[in-house]
Amino acid sequence: MDRLTRRQSLLLGAGALGMASLNGRRAFAAAMEAGVPVADVKPPSFALEKGATLKVLRPAKFIDPDEAWFRANTKKFTEQTGVQVELDFISWEQLRPQTAVTANTGAGPDIIVGWSADPQIYASKLVDLTDVGEYLGAKYGGWFDLAALYGTRWGSGGKQWVAIPLGGGTGPAVYRISWVKEAGYDAIPNDLNEFLTLVQKLKKIGHPAGWALGHAVGDANGYADWLMWSHGAYAIDEHGKVAIDSQEMINALNYCKELYPNLISGTTSWNDASNNQAFAAGEISLTFNGVSIYYVLKNAKDKRLNEIAADTNNVLPPYGLSQGHSPLSALVINAMLFQHSKFPNAAKDYIRFMMEAPQYGPWLSDCYGYWSNPLKAYSEMAFWNGDPKIAAYKEGMNTPYYDGYKGPISANSSALAANYILVDMFAKVATGNASAKDAAAFAARQAERYYKA
Amino acid sequence: MDATTAEAAAVTWRLARRPDGWITRLFDYKPFLIGLCLAPAIGLLVVFLTYPLGLGFWLALTNSTIGQRGHFVGLANFISVLDDPVFQLSVFNTIFYTAAATVGKFGLGLWLALLLNHHLPFKSFLRAIVLLPWIVPTVLSAIVWWWMYSPQFSIISYILVNVLHLRSTYINFLGSAWPARWSLVVANTWRGIPFVAIITLAGLQTIPPSLYEAALLDGASSWQRFRFITVPLLLPILSVALTLSTLFTFSDFQLVYAITDGGPFNTTQIMATLAYQVAIPGSELGQGAAIAIAMIPFLVALTAINYFGLARRKWQQGPANE
Amino acid sequence: MSEAAAGDELLSWDSRARRVVTVYVPLALFVIVLLFPFYWMTITAFKPDSEMEDYAHHSPFWISSPTLHNFNVLLFHTQFPRWMLITISVAVGTTILSIFCSVLAAYAIERLRFSGSTQVALAIYLAYLVPPTILFIPLATMVVQFGLYNSPISLILTYPTFLIPFCTWLLIGYFKSIPYELEECALIDGASRWQILRRIVLPLSVPGLISAGIFAFTLSWNEFIYALAFIQSTGNKTVPVAVLTELVTGDVYQWGALMAGALLGSVPVALFYSLFAEYYVSSLTGAVKE
Repeated sequence: MDRLTRRQSLLLGAGALGMASLNGRRAFAAAMEAGVPVADVKPPSFALEKGATLKVLRPAKFIDPDEAWFRANTKKFTEQTGVQVELDFISWEQLRPQTAVTANTGAGPDIIVGWSADPQIYASKLVDLTDVGEYLGAKYGGWFDLAALYGTRWGSGGKQWVAIPLGGGTGPAVYRISWVKEAGYDAIPNDLNEFLTLVQKLKKIGHPAGWALGHAVGDANGYADWLMWSHGAYAIDEHGKVAIDSQEMINALNYCKELYPNLISGTTSWNDASNNQAFAAGEISLTFNGVSIYYVLKNAKDKRLNEIAADTNNVLPPYGLSQGHSPLSALVINAMLFQHSKFPNAAKDYIRFMMEAPQYGPWLSDCYGYWSNPLKAYSEMAFWNGDPKIAAYKEGMNTPYYDGYKGPISANSSALAANYILVDMFAKVATGNASAKDAAAFAARQAERYYKA
Repeated sequence: MDATTAEAAAVTWRLARRPDGWITRLFDYKPFLIGLCLAPAIGLLVVFLTYPLGLGFWLALTNSTIGQRGHFVGLANFISVLDDPVFQLSVFNTIFYTAAATVGKFGLGLWLALLLNHHLPFKSFLRAIVLLPWIVPTVLSAIVWWWMYSPQFSIISYILVNVLHLRSTYINFLGSAWPARWSLVVANTWRGIPFVAIITLAGLQTIPPSLYEAALLDGASSWQRFRFITVPLLLPILSVALTLSTLFTFSDFQLVYAITDGGPFNTTQIMATLAYQVAIPGSELGQGAAIAIAMIPFLVALTAINYFGLARRKWQQGPANE
Repeated sequence: MSEAAAGDELLSWDSRARRVVTVYVPLALFVIVLLFPFYWMTITAFKPDSEMEDYAHHSPFWISSPTLHNFNVLLFHTQFPRWMLITISVAVGTTILSIFCSVLAAYAIERLRFSGSTQVALAIYLAYLVPPTILFIPLATMVVQFGLYNSPISLILTYPTFLIPFCTWLLIGYFKSIPYELEECALIDGASRWQILRRIVLPLSVPGLISAGIFAFTLSWNEFIYALAFIQSTGNKTVPVAVLTELVTGDVYQWGALMAGALLGSVPVALFYSLFAEYYVSSLTGAVKE
């Protein structure tokens, strides 16, 4: 699996070779900016504090270029402004507790690049970033819906920025072109019944599909969300009330039950890595995932895997009843500036700097779809179209769907995902351990435990 | 060290004897000395064990979240937790996991000990290597088990399907409730067998062979010898091992966390993993603490059962009462 | 041991064939089952990527072209050496602290005998029955308050809570076997209590100290839940936690490196233990006998 990414890292990574390639790329960066349509907007001027130093914390890298470019851009900021920045990376599952501790103790990093809902949860502890948000939006063609949802204070009409979204990780459909063709389809159908037929046919030709329904925080929640939203169901209504127990949800559950026997066996025990592994081994023909499956196959030094990559495509999953958008959300990272920071101006300038094209462009392009851009202009970058197979990822944040849709973004929606309420509901029905009606009622009660609190 | 060396040491002291200063006298003042000696151990235990235990009770009575001190909510957390079907399921899973794994560990461990008690070549080497599962960090061996239980790449399935041709499909070890539970029990048993075996083996070696010889002369069968000599003489040591083993299995965390993380749909969720999931990723410290505290009555009951049942005789003779 | 074996032989009435079936075959099965996961761990660690999941073209039981690639990745492209260093420091620090506390406590309880020493001993033993899984939540909040969050010192301070009780009991047993006359003689000769502890009791309890030390070292090496809950940054993790949480990039498991990490993370304890296997066994059994 990642052995492949590792090999890639020898080319792109933070080693000596990697730095050399970064220097080469720096020259390239200016040219890259040209590909990004930029409006002529004067940047807000922040009076940098004397002797300012910053501590920045972000989640661990996806792939080596992610960290290498983030470090290089940070270094560039220090070179240009003299502001020393201490950059720290922590593992994903520990980022949320760390954010909570920092917010509530008022000590720790100046900036935390934290998960989706956290800016809303800690809004009262954050420095307002409206100037940065408005400037970036104006310069780079505006923000995608999901960016505004997570970055602006809930109920401010998308006006008051409490955090600046840096990117989102999304998981569209990943499939083997030849096997889908063998099953009689040239593309992934948008209609749910057609999609079911495709999955059934894939099973028949011996190349089944597979989606995680175990306690896999990313993949299983993503699949559950797609099932729910593509059937017009949602977990929470506009008023923050649990809306799981609905006819639409029961339809979604029944649909999941019909899909399940056609999948490869064992998906209820899959974790986030399982579908990557099964896809690379040629065991499955279709799944939903981030770009990691494709990226690893494409960059492997193994001909067999490169051939699979050539036969792989990434597209948005079926829309179903969702209007105008594929029912897909993304795991968003937001830069939050805490009020306890002694150097808020330097911090704001740092965030702005990291989002500007000369820095953001190469970071985004080298991450190759691992992160989807929150600013619309970056969708015009050449690399998205250089490999049409990753085009689906540039739409990652162009979605109205979020965790806990349609309710207010809050700590509760994170608890739903952390406790696998929806995932377990689908898994139970799929495996015949509960009827759709019972499972929905049960999940609704469980969700209310968190929404009551 | 024998008596002569000790005497030699005593001679050195006589020579090195200095006039008594007040410090020397203070250090020979027994109550002071006792206090001084106990202070580090008791201090650490009180600060990092007794106090957090109390704090755990307090947290369970508040609505604290990570980083935020909550306020007192009475028994609300306990009421809400007891009412939660996932919690109820986790209690069942924990009890099943403990019971099944304990039976497995003790059954197989005893057998292994009896086998190792035979006259064997490379006996001490054998004894050393069978202890490996117990020595190696649990979470590292758990990763290996997870990999061996993979629905697509399981080596166990490979052996059954491709080598022995006993099955035609790969086993879905962790994908549904009972297979997943049993898979975890097997992994836990695997880790626990050496512990039981080595302790039993040590117990077996303290049984005087003359007892067996006498029994043999009286015409006792091998079963009778096992039943009336081996078992009663092993019982004291086994009962303590049983207490420790059940307590640690009941409060296990790593194995389940690494292999299933409670899935599928909480059918392998045990109390410890649920407490973690609710408290740390879920941020609800109060609720998580309530789940952890709910383990205490079970732990006390397990200890009491062992104490009043099997272990009573031994504990009454324990060194503490000598 | 030789006595038992001799007795065993005397009692043996089984024919050779029967012995093979009742002893050697089951024993061989036990050994295979108990060791297979380690074989699997080792062989995966040396497998090149192309063989790892491709059972159709490569027998999974053997390696066609063994490679050190996974170890190269682990040692030079992750912070594994640092995790190892942290783990060793934590294990050593914890062991020293625990043994220090336990020696003093056991000495006070067993050799200084005071009214209530029985109760103190029992209280310490009861502490052994409190599992870390019910303490980690309140401890996590304490660690944050003490400013020790993300610091290995938090582990050095908390691990002794499950080591001191066991070590103290083990040492009580060893101290008990030292004749009181020795101590009385020394007292009459004017030796202080410290001198007695240092020159008589400790030298006579070396095997007990080693047993307790090995026990403390292996347990702190293996500890998981405190290290998971108290340590946050990549550079400060212990091996068991880091292998599980850091050798994964997003949703891609680095299986080879993961297995290499599991192997290298197991080797030090296994090695340490094999050097002192006898002591370890006696620590296990010794404490249970008490």
